[in-house]
Amino acid sequence: MHIHAYEKLWLAASILLILLLIGSVTYGAVGPGVAMVADSEQPIDAGGLDEDERFSEPRVEQVGENEYAAYVVAYQFGFEPSPIVVPEDSTVTFYVTSRDVIHGFEVVGTNANTMVVPGEVSEITVEIDGSQEYGLLCNEYCGAGHHAMEGKVNVVSQEEFEERNSGGDDA
Amino acid sequence: MGQNQAAHASTDDVSGDEEFDPIGTLTLIGIYFVILLLAWVYVYYIEFLGRDLVVVG
Amino acid sequence: MSEALETERSFVDKFPEEARVVRAALLSSFLALVLGAIFGIIQTLHRTDVVRIIPSTDYYTLLTAHGVFLAISFTTFFLVGLFTWAVTRSLDRPLVNIRITWTWYTIMAVGMTMTGVSILAGFTDAIDMSADVLFTFYAPLQAHPLFYAGLAVFIVGSWIAGVDWFRTWLAWKRDHPDERIPLQTFMVLTTMAMWYIASSAVAASVLIFLLPWSLGFIDQVSPTLTRTLFWFFGHPVVYFWLMPAYLLWYTVLPKLAGGRLFSDPLARVVFVLFLLLSTPVGIHHQYLDPGIAEGFKFISMTNTMFLLLPSLLTAFTVVASVEYGARQRGGTGLLGWLTDLPWRKPEFTGMMLAGLMFAAGGFSGMVNAGMNINYMIHNTIWVPGHFHLTVGTAVALTFMAATYWIWPQISNKPIYSRSIGLFQVVLWFIGMALMSNAMHAQGIMGVPRRTAEPEYSGFDYPAMFGGFEELNIQIAIGGTLLFVSTVLFISNLVLTMGNPKVSGLAESLPPALSGPDDAPRVLDNLGLWVGIALTLVVLAYALPLAAIINRGGLLGPGVGTYPVWVAPVLDALAGAVTPLVGEVAGSLVGVTP
Repeated sequence: MHIHAYEKLWLAASILLILLLIGSVTYGAVGPGVAMVADSEQPIDAGGLDEDERFSEPRVEQVGENEYAAYVVAYQFGFEPSPIVVPEDSTVTFYVTSRDVIHGFEVVGTNANTMVVPGEVSEITVEIDGSQEYGLLCNEYCGAGHHAMEGKVNVVSQEEFEERNSGGDDA
Repeated sequence: MGQNQAAHASTDDVSGDEEFDPIGTLTLIGIYFVILLLAWVYVYYIEFLGRDLVVVG
Repeated sequence: MSEALETERSFVDKFPEEARVVRAALLSSFLALVLGAIFGIIQTLHRTDVVRIIPSTDYYTLLTAHGVFLAISFTTFFLVGLFTWAVTRSLDRPLVNIRITWTWYTIMAVGMTMTGVSILAGFTDAIDMSADVLFTFYAPLQAHPLFYAGLAVFIVGSWIAGVDWFRTWLAWKRDHPDERIPLQTFMVLTTMAMWYIASSAVAASVLIFLLPWSLGFIDQVSPTLTRTLFWFFGHPVVYFWLMPAYLLWYTVLPKLAGGRLFSDPLARVVFVLFLLLSTPVGIHHQYLDPGIAEGFKFISMTNTMFLLLPSLLTAFTVVASVEYGARQRGGTGLLGWLTDLPWRKPEFTGMMLAGLMFAAGGFSGMVNAGMNINYMIHNTIWVPGHFHLTVGTAVALTFMAATYWIWPQISNKPIYSRSIGLFQVVLWFIGMALMSNAMHAQGIMGVPRRTAEPEYSGFDYPAMFGGFEELNIQIAIGGTLLFVSTVLFISNLVLTMGNPKVSGLAESLPPALSGPDDAPRVLDNLGLWVGIALTLVVLAYALPLAAIINRGGLLGPGVGTYPVWVAPVLDALAGAVTPLVGEVAGSLVGVTP
């Protein structure tokens, strides 16, 4: 089959481009260590969240030296806790599940973004820097009130975080 | 007419692509290639890897 | 060339029955386009807060209709019309049994009507029926059973269409035993083979899970499983949309440019690559799903990246064919030949602009394919920005452009106004450039897709690219231009249909520069390619599907059902039937209830 020399050149360039794209993604996984949401958490009973130790009381708690776990429940049409308060300069793992339908968990303007599937728990770990407030929204259509489904992720100082957690409720 | 009669016609017309070098195409697609490369590098390395809350676990 | 001596009989003169089917299919396609466009303009103005004439809760009904009518009905009806034309024309013979042809067309029309009714009923409370589940339908959001049943019927109709064309080709083959499959027919057959593979999973999802579930026969279904089965189909469907556009770019556009297809063999290779690679990639729509291992996602990514290859090759072959035409017309210079092309013809300019826009869409597609960069843009409005460039322009604009060329040949009526046609295709391009560009920018800011009101009370978007409000205005303007363009297209066609018939509208297609005889015979071995395609699909999907079923069971871990259709029909039926039964019983026994 005759292929013109220029087209052969383009074919080679195209394959190189494809390898570059795959290579970039692989670099992202290996260098900065970007990990995908996956099946690390066991399936749970979406109807039985009240009995689940983590999700019956959605909260943020310390699990190690500068390590925190945020147990988040998405529902029609909001997130619990609201706002999600985490301390600055820490590592936070979000465990997110749904009580009802499929939702999205997107921290606006960042790379923290995951599907939230009832019966499954999405686990994502991120590094938190300095104090700031992030918007949180649901980006997977979940019913008539989808556009109203929002929350906050607030990064506060260590002191403020401890104050909130030892004082009152999870809000 | 079906392609078949046409196929016979093309054999007396010496495979056109021997005489025709699509240099304009090569140029245009070369420009496209460069744009793709630059755009990818920007979007991946600067925009994506540069933003907050990269998922590392 | 022998083509010059060809008879002046147009397609409709030679194949009047087939031409009628083609016209019917195209008109069904444009009906869907009209409805989709009306909903599109309402959506655009609603989302950008320019004017909100419906309650935001109804937005999702509109969005479901927009997606289903445009992404399923408009595209598929055009495809079946185009393919009927292409098979008949390239084999130079009628279809084997025109009654079967009308049967599949009717089945498709019935199916789409069923689904359409179930969606539109969501606008009124008078009918207890709705399907606000969007075009990408999976559990636990549930639609009325009519929605799923209609789609199943529609898909079966399309399967019969494929059988119709295969049979016609086999009949031709008996009379032409050693000949290569004519290119257009080859493209039709490979596309349909891909479609059978791709649609099998969504048909299974609908028939085994979603339909029985919506009828109340099973209690729950697995969200992850139905998602995975949907996306098994949901990626290759975009190639089902694209391959007819490629057929036009490969076999018609060179002629419009005054040239010839640069390489028939390469065109065959491209279509074989689509048959092989379109389906084993669906998991790239699920990069951020819990419940699916990263390894499966990575495999899907590499397959997807290689799926870029046939499109990149197409870019070269098509542009080279056009360049050949330009130089034949006297064009010279490295790029100067670009001016020696028939830019006044809407069919030419429309296809060229569509191809140009597709090049941009290819880039955002590369980003979408990148597994980890998906975190940045998943479910943001970047994604609609991408697909409005691809299906919304590369496909839709090519279809509109092709109509200007094909309609006269299938009806013997000249186009009412070619200048309006030219204006319309350029307007489409401008409108889409504005709208899609702003959508991509907003997506990077984190603005979500599929929402009636993207402004939130608790926070503002990052200030980038001129800002959220500025970009909203661009989206609104772009969308409005697109709507105007659609109105012009449809009006032009309607006025064309009112024209008197004339003769002399026949058009021929020249042979390729490098013809089918230069293509290795193995390319025509459809059985081989289907076998490989199935193997790749099994490799990509067997383990993930087994893992999903193993994890959560066939019907999913404990999940409820969320009917998005109001009030069970059964309650209403029970309410109607009970007094009736009482009356009948009373009259039999002589007692009034």
